[in-house]
Amino acid sequence: MSEQATYDEDDIAVAGEYVLRLLSAEEVATFEARLAAEPALRDLVTDWQEGLATLADEVAEAPPAALWPRIEAAAFGEAPRRAGISPWRWLAGGLVAALIAVALFFAIPPGPVTPPTHQAQIAAEDGSLVVQAALSPEGELHLIREQGGARPGRALELWLIAEGAPAPVSLGVLPEAEDVRIAVPEALRASFTGGTLAISDEPPGGSPTGAPTGDVLAAAPVQTL
Amino acid sequence: MVTPEDIEGMIARCALGDRSAFAALYQATSSKLFGICLRILKERSEAEDALQEVYLRIWRKAESYKAGGPSPMAWLSTVARNLAIDRLRAKAPPADELDDAPELVAKGPTPEQSAVAAGEAARIGACLGELEPERAGAVRGAYLEGATYDELANRYSVPLNTMRTWLRRSLIKLKECLER
Repeated sequence: MSEQATYDEDDIAVAGEYVLRLLSAEEVATFEARLAAEPALRDLVTDWQEGLATLADEVAEAPPAALWPRIEAAAFGEAPRRAGISPWRWLAGGLVAALIAVALFFAIPPGPVTPPTHQAQIAAEDGSLVVQAALSPEGELHLIREQGGARPGRALELWLIAEGAPAPVSLGVLPEAEDVRIAVPEALRASFTGGTLAISDEPPGGSPTGAPTGDVLAAAPVQTL
Repeated sequence: MVTPEDIEGMIARCALGDRSAFAALYQATSSKLFGICLRILKERSEAEDALQEVYLRIWRKAESYKAGGPSPMAWLSTVARNLAIDRLRAKAPPADELDDAPELVAKGPTPEQSAVAAGEAARIGACLGELEPERAGAVRGAYLEGATYDELANRYSVPLNTMRTWLRRSLIKLKECLER
């Protein structure tokens, strides 16, 4: 029994049941009416919220990368694809610049053919840009540009958005050639699983900020094979 | 490492309409809150919709968070949990779902006990350890999965009133232990 005398065992139990959402609608109404009038009861509820929340300490699961743009658009009321407004515009603030690692593209000679572990068809909604991507177990990303290309005087930059990460990581500027193979740094390979590949319109040489600055032209979830 | 003070600061800046703070908050907390939604809703697409609702609620209601009340993570977890449970209960579960015995029952030592060093967390783990395993399991099931008394009674094959008595006694013991 509590020494404070401001609440009793029944209050302790009912406050816990309230936080656990075990009460019926009627009981909730009665309890909430008391809550409004009794500060000690409110403290009891806070105690339970606090104490029980630690039960979820081990609970964590990264949400898919595609969710953040959706939430951002819903929260800020922006149309995600309107010209000039990048869904990743907030990144320009440099907030997560520290998290962005830029991987350099370099051509590697075709090696022995091994079946890819991941693939994606990165396509614009209207089909104006289509790039097939396949990642080999050795970390070689094979890109075939089937449709479209960079706008005049502009470049295409490839991005990887790891599952749950709101910030895309640059995989580099797409070379002019239609069929290229690039090496993906080992640290980034795991992020292909559940990740998203996207291509944005950037100034020649790629984004000056390390985050996408132009329109997102095409995006696709990566399929694990 | 993001501290509770950092998260409190992010919430405070969200209340002022700071979008970059909202992005930072999402980055720091979305895995935890998605995990909470997923545990309750089980289906990923459902959990994703719930998470969107959770963050919209946080963005719009950030000013209702008061420093000095629950810790910022407890507040965020409460928002996530309540919205996920609202969704869960909005769609009536098919009766046969109740027969699926949860993995929670069989689990031995609590992961909290071994993994969490912080005082509060270690305490609730230890305090749950003082309860009979089934009763501790019922508390976990109610918190982590949003199980109702009906579902818990079914799960542990006891009458509804027995379950309620168990759980209320468990809560009283827990509180006593937490204040020791």
